[in-house]
Amino acid sequence: VKPPPPRQGCRLDAQPLQFSFDGRSYPGLAGDTAASALLANGVRLMGRSVKYRRRRGLLAAGPEEPNALFTVGARPDAIPNVSAPLLQLRDGLEFRSQNRWPTLGFDLASALQAGGGLFGAGFYYKTFIWPSWRWYETPIRHLAGLGEAPGRCDLPPPVLEHCSCDVVVAGAGAAGLAAALAAARAGAKVILCEREPACGGELEYEAALVGGVPARAWVRAALAELAALGARVLTHTTLVAESSGELLAHGEPGGLAGMNTLHYIRPRAFVIAMGAIECPIAFRDNDRPGVMLLNAAERYLARYGARCGQELVLFANNDRAYPAAQRLLAGGMRVRAIVDTRAADAAGAPAAALRDELRRAGVECLAAHAVLAAEGSTAVRGARVAPLADPAAARQIACDTILVSGGWAPALHAGLREGGSAEFQAGLGAFIASAQPAGRASAGAANGHLELAQVLRDGHEAGVRAARAAGAPGTPGAAPDGRGDGEPRLAPFARSPAPERWEKHQFIDLQNDVTVADLRTALAEGFLDIEHLKRYTTLGVGTEQGRTGGLLGAAILAELRSEALPGIGLSRTRPPYHPLTMRSIAGFRAGAAVKVARRTPLHEWHEAHGGVLDPMDLWLRPRYYRANGASASTAAVVEARQVRAHGGIADGSTLGKLEVAGPDAAAFLDYLYLNRASTIKPGRARYMVNLREDGCVLDDGLVLRLGAERFIATVSSSHGPHMLAHFEHYRATEFAGRRLTVTDVTEAWVAIVVAGPQSRAALERVLGAAWRDTLGTLGHMGFADGDCHGAGLRLLRASFSGELAFELHCRPASAVQLWQELCDAGLAPYGLDAVDILRVEKGYLVSSEINGETTPFDLGLDALAHAGNPCLGRELLDRPAFHEPQRPRLVGLRAADGRAAFLGGAQLTVPGELRRPCGYVTSSVYSPTLGEWLGLALVARSIDLEARLVARDPLRGGDVAVRVVPPVHFDPDGTRMKAQPASQGSATT
Amino acid sequence: VTRLQCPFCGPRELREFQFHKTLPTGPGGSAYERTYERVADAERSLEHWQHVGGCRAWLHVERNPSTGAVLAVVLLGGMRP
Repeated sequence: VKPPPPRQGCRLDAQPLQFSFDGRSYPGLAGDTAASALLANGVRLMGRSVKYRRRRGLLAAGPEEPNALFTVGARPDAIPNVSAPLLQLRDGLEFRSQNRWPTLGFDLASALQAGGGLFGAGFYYKTFIWPSWRWYETPIRHLAGLGEAPGRCDLPPPVLEHCSCDVVVAGAGAAGLAAALAAARAGAKVILCEREPACGGELEYEAALVGGVPARAWVRAALAELAALGARVLTHTTLVAESSGELLAHGEPGGLAGMNTLHYIRPRAFVIAMGAIECPIAFRDNDRPGVMLLNAAERYLARYGARCGQELVLFANNDRAYPAAQRLLAGGMRVRAIVDTRAADAAGAPAAALRDELRRAGVECLAAHAVLAAEGSTAVRGARVAPLADPAAARQIACDTILVSGGWAPALHAGLREGGSAEFQAGLGAFIASAQPAGRASAGAANGHLELAQVLRDGHEAGVRAARAAGAPGTPGAAPDGRGDGEPRLAPFARSPAPERWEKHQFIDLQNDVTVADLRTALAEGFLDIEHLKRYTTLGVGTEQGRTGGLLGAAILAELRSEALPGIGLSRTRPPYHPLTMRSIAGFRAGAAVKVARRTPLHEWHEAHGGVLDPMDLWLRPRYYRANGASASTAAVVEARQVRAHGGIADGSTLGKLEVAGPDAAAFLDYLYLNRASTIKPGRARYMVNLREDGCVLDDGLVLRLGAERFIATVSSSHGPHMLAHFEHYRATEFAGRRLTVTDVTEAWVAIVVAGPQSRAALERVLGAAWRDTLGTLGHMGFADGDCHGAGLRLLRASFSGELAFELHCRPASAVQLWQELCDAGLAPYGLDAVDILRVEKGYLVSSEINGETTPFDLGLDALAHAGNPCLGRELLDRPAFHEPQRPRLVGLRAADGRAAFLGGAQLTVPGELRRPCGYVTSSVYSPTLGEWLGLALVARSIDLEARLVARDPLRGGDVAVRVVPPVHFDPDGTRMKAQPASQGSATT
Repeated sequence: VTRLQCPFCGPRELREFQFHKTLPTGPGGSAYERTYERVADAERSLEHWQHVGGCRAWLHVERNPSTGAVLAVVLLGGMRP
């Protein structure tokens, strides 16, 4: 590798470093960006365009860069679409170009396109329709898109900071510094955000005077004064979004991609001083590597000592080309020509004087001329230049770089949020933000000012107003005076004259390959509005958001529609104003912080004993135990059979438990439930159902009455938090001021379900003599409180399996011991899948049936509904729609042949009408007890029991003939569940 | 709206609150009308929110949906901070 030519720039220090681009190693200097270092190494080709795969180089020197987007780092942790001018180099950094395969120099897709010309707007919609888009989708998706999504995210979590202040100033250029100074002097607490590593904006390198001193000295003094006044200056930090007065600033301290800090800032006032972005001019092949914005070339030279080329042609519609040419000459480059689109007398006096000087130095200065085309097939080799009055008289000027300045587009994005609108400024030929909400203002170039003295004054005044809006009482001092390049005196010029066949090579939006021809096509097809045009042509989408191409596109649209630019407007940009990683957007809301895992006190036991834990809502619950089978389906069948034959235990701790207490507790529960809680006797439980306001079933569960004024309502495991909020809501509204409390005691009680014919005998052994009588006399839905192992124990007799079953509600500390003793007493644990088999056999309901669309009548709970308790949702139960024959009804299903399997989700039809469903399967299981598949289903009431239906499941199982049966498949009379011990015989109810 | 003034906790970010429902702005009506025939008012929205990420208080929020301005936040049901 050759040593780089000696460079001098205000950002560089002499510390050398190495980096790698597309696998090749290059030297750079500390302070370089990827863009400046590659430019200094003579690399012109930095990417391929997204659609046409055309060769592209640097256009800009800021986040507006449309072409040079790199993927940083190695797969799979790569970060795509990092803008080269923002990528701070460090030693050993690796990055690569995008949108090319196999290499940047030779791209197969562009070779394939070479014969066929360029695909215009709407090409895909019109071309890939026969026989179907699906035929083309995979290969096109392979080629489409910007960059490559990383295979995984190994970025550190972003640092988050919430802060508030009086005034936020976004942008620390001339206007931003003046605004921050004014506000801070007035006593406001100021935060100044600057996306670059250093403050000053163009003052960082411009040979201007501010307040009588060189600009760089003024910037240093201003920063020192801000620091003394307590203002906070955040470099490497970009304002990315604004929402209702809260600003989101994204920082990458040290410029390290992916190392993010997010600042949520709430200011009283907000000054947008984010500058203006130079506009390109459209001419043939204006996307070739070597066509660059004039201001970008100056920045690369002044900040990094990187030359954009050797032989330059400047193409501009304003006065700035002349001082710029002088500086580029001084930087050691050769300026072949300045092509000015304006008449010779349009230039101001200083520019005209400079022009004469440049002519004497050998620069050809052409007025009323334009660059018609960039010559050269892979990079710029020359500029085709012609007088505007006679485009046919074109000639070529050899050069390797064409620098373009077509005016400026003020940074608008933040100014168009929430109440802002765009207003046309004729002198600038561009739009500025207006009608801002109180406390927000644009300043400086972002406000349409381009001459330094005006920029400083505008910034100062914006700072004064912001401080006043924030209530700062002090005096802001006087605006600094400045002298730099004069007024640009630009004359709007959007594109060079061209025959229509060239228009598909006149690029407007380089990032999205939008050309003048595309605009013409869109117009011809009726996409007249700028927003429609954006959607059809993709003008202004992507990371670039129309920063370089937006105003140019609008101006050309105005020309094609023969209308004035103010009537066309700009398409709206969307936040984030600046790309940031998804990791930053997620913030701390990632992994466990998004979804905590709730564990029962028996969690470790399950893990240690082969339990396969699955998330259910937030809870981790054992689905099955490995000892019983290798898969959930085989193990669950073994476990369910064990429960029916012998017995088993299950962890029911996840069940939500809300304790409702107080003199009005019974009335409160009466209001919340379809059936009454006030008639439950202490020591008894009742199956209860909640309705929503609209009459649909919300949840079901048991309500236990502990005493006259004390209840525990159990709610579905996955509904716990929601039901707590539901209870609290009605306590705060309908029961406001009444005497009751609602307490979530879910985690205070472990629930161990003990089910099966042997459950009573096993419990007698485990709980000991003190509980023998209780176990013998406790009736179905009765419960008793007592002690076990010195801790409180509640024994509830209730069943979700149809077997004789108990729930042990014990304290978490004694749960593992009790569970282990039950295991030792011969009861094997069973998981959720076995629970599901057992409950489907019995026709019990879960969220598959209580799905938010079903009423008590649909679910066969008519008896509860007819009890007439005037509860929540009661009024709407009577509406006619709930009683129509098409309403569903819960039924059981079995295969017609007694063997075939059918799955939940299958649609049910009558055999003659296979295309019109009359219901669907809500749950299905293989029942080891009955030796066949059983289901629960919701079918139209007009379908009778014993009807023959077809369960249609085209994607999984095909069609299965089924018959409708009652929902309780097993032991419909409940004799097993209500069984009394042989010794006693007397029923307790 | 990015902040609500919780009567117990003071001004808090919206992400701490959970929206529950909007209420009819007009008087009376049957349950059916109150549930299904609500007409959204562009200038005035009455809402129930819960401060789930904080004190769990239920709040009655009056908002102007057109401007996003919060007009009033009071506790539901006569609780006093």
